[in-house]
Amino acid sequence: MNPRALAVWVAAVLLLSLGSEDPILRVLTLGAALTVLLVCRRVGTRARPALWAVGIAALLTVLFNFLLSHTGENVLLQLPGWLPALGGPLSLEGAAYGLDLALGLAACILAGISLSLVVEPHQLVDSLPAPLSRTGAALGAAMTLVPRLGHSFVAVREAQQMRGWRPRGMRSWTAVVVPSVLTTIEGSVLLAEAMEARAFGSGPRTALATSRWQLRDLAVAATSAAAVAGFVGALIFGQVPSWQPYPSLVMPGLNWWPALCCLALFIPALFP
Amino acid sequence: MLPGALHPGALPVTGLARFERFGYRYPESATLSLNQITVQIEAGLTLLHGPSGSGKSTLLRSLNGLVPHFHGGQASGRAWILGQDLRTTTTRRLARQVAMVFQEPESQFVLATVRREVAFGPENLGLPATEIGDRVDGALHAMGILELAERRISTLSGGQRQRVALAAALAMRPRVLVLDEPTSQLDDPGADSLRRECQAVASRGLAVVVAEHRPWRVDGPGSRRLELSHGSLISSLHRRPGPSTLPPHPSRSSGSSAWELSELVVGHQEAVAAEINLDCHQGEVLCLTGPNGSGKTTLLRTVAGLLRPLSGSVRRRPGRCAYLPQEPGGVLHQGSLLEEVNQTIRWLKLESSPWPILEEFQLTALAAMDPRDLSTGQRQRAALAAVLVGSPEMVFLDEPTRGADPNSRLLLLRVLDRLATEGSAILVATSDTQFAHQLGDRVHELDSGHLRERREVAA
Repeated sequence: MNPRALAVWVAAVLLLSLGSEDPILRVLTLGAALTVLLVCRRVGTRARPALWAVGIAALLTVLFNFLLSHTGENVLLQLPGWLPALGGPLSLEGAAYGLDLALGLAACILAGISLSLVVEPHQLVDSLPAPLSRTGAALGAAMTLVPRLGHSFVAVREAQQMRGWRPRGMRSWTAVVVPSVLTTIEGSVLLAEAMEARAFGSGPRTALATSRWQLRDLAVAATSAAAVAGFVGALIFGQVPSWQPYPSLVMPGLNWWPALCCLALFIPALFP
Repeated sequence: MLPGALHPGALPVTGLARFERFGYRYPESATLSLNQITVQIEAGLTLLHGPSGSGKSTLLRSLNGLVPHFHGGQASGRAWILGQDLRTTTTRRLARQVAMVFQEPESQFVLATVRREVAFGPENLGLPATEIGDRVDGALHAMGILELAERRISTLSGGQRQRVALAAALAMRPRVLVLDEPTSQLDDPGADSLRRECQAVASRGLAVVVAEHRPWRVDGPGSRRLELSHGSLISSLHRRPGPSTLPPHPSRSSGSSAWELSELVVGHQEAVAAEINLDCHQGEVLCLTGPNGSGKTTLLRTVAGLLRPLSGSVRRRPGRCAYLPQEPGGVLHQGSLLEEVNQTIRWLKLESSPWPILEEFQLTALAAMDPRDLSTGQRQRAALAAVLVGSPEMVFLDEPTRGADPNSRLLLLRVLDRLATEGSAILVATSDTQFAHQLGDRVHELDSGHLRERREVAA
């Protein structure tokens, strides 16, 4: 997929998931982000670690809002007042609002992750405008450091295990984490040195190849732009339902106009 | 006189690079890494050699200005590279005409795929896309890896990565090509390709400067040799030492089976080698050679128990396994080398002293140093000392001669011979076929997914 088309789609997901607090619209947007990530990701990439991370972030969001909001009529639990920040009533409304926030957050994160799992980092770099090419190359290099840290962690853990290290409690992991981080930092310095030695930053850059627009890219970009326009129109004309769980939980309403805009975000999944 | 040399007080500059009493000290280092170097690098092939830690990599880094501009530290004397004063010319400017391949090529990769990685340098030169494409294809072809063009670098073997790094440097079409231990992980065809390319570049009136512990792998007619010791240039040599400097190993007697492979198929997701039936006895040294990317590391890791076989079985007798990974830096993380060896002793509850192994690898004088401050060759020895302390029942080493000077190779040979005599079963994966034949009781070659024995060494 053309990275610029994907970028338009990501921007649309962000706008639609943050533009309304309606949980139905957020579920639809999250569904689109998840489907596109799973269907369109590059061969050989792993979505599971990203999904785990998003799941944990979502769970924490629900938990924090449930524990800290202390607002709402349907009290599920009362924590003692002497507990700092946590003490007080814990309500169904707090959990529901936390879940709504988590849906929006998950949609945004998954859309952002698509940028690295659907297209190659160098495609993103090449698609940046010329004045940002050097920044883009540096970003592209930075993106390779994340898998490098993972590789380093596995290599160090294996080597230490063969030297007799065994995981015994949190502190024992320093024997793996510290050298992994040190190795990665050292690798970053070497990478910076190598980039300098390969004339990075010595003048204007060109690119071997840039991604060309194909029919599907045009379809993705145009549909995403139309979804944004439709959603903004719905906002202007008051067609986007507003939802607030406080003080008492109410069922969200459904309006087909913004819902169709959210459904349009599934478009990239039609062109895997 | 070249135009860049027109600085007040500058000497007339000839040659592609010239150093006048050049000295350099790394930041926070007590000793000089380069001391009063006076030399002129001419067009053609220049081979730089000397023991680990003698300053070879530092001198190479000064050819493109990384020393002193990137590393900081203190420089003295004068140097001109392509007629430009090193003190006032930045690395990124010199890099447009001086290409370098580092000793650890896996650390220099910027992008994820081979083609894009090789294109990175020419892209920085601002060349048109068609020319970049031509250069990339030409460089990949020269290094014999055109078929790897679309592969992800993370899926390549160490030797294949080294070829990619070399192709990336060739694609820059530099006036000075600087190579730091370029054949340390290359198989023989890879080294031959590199030698041809070095000759071709040199014949075009350009300079190729190579630091190499096995200089015969890149040497050619008309080459010049410079020898460094403790940061000083001690001689220009014209002799051509051959490869055979290590003694053959003494006869060994083997004991009971240490590990046995039966109908083994190895690989990560796809099989890289199949139908492997092999065993190794206590007191035996088995070496595994083969072309870059043939699966040596994968097989070694499977035998060591770090990778699950796709099918077949690995039977290992109980006992301690010592393992050296291909990138030994990950082993070293303590504040001193002595502490690093002691860490293994503590974890394994050994009753050994750290000093004998440090002495065997001639590291006693470096025991108090932070392992990360050592040169690449010294770090390799340090990692070997850290994993081989005591008497492991089984030893698995991946490219243990990487970055090793002749003396380090001899020390390693002695240590492994001692361990084998004490009953260790040793498996070494190496692209250094000379070392394999000098060390191994048996040498097996892994090629095209199959294992075959190369030679039975008489006991």
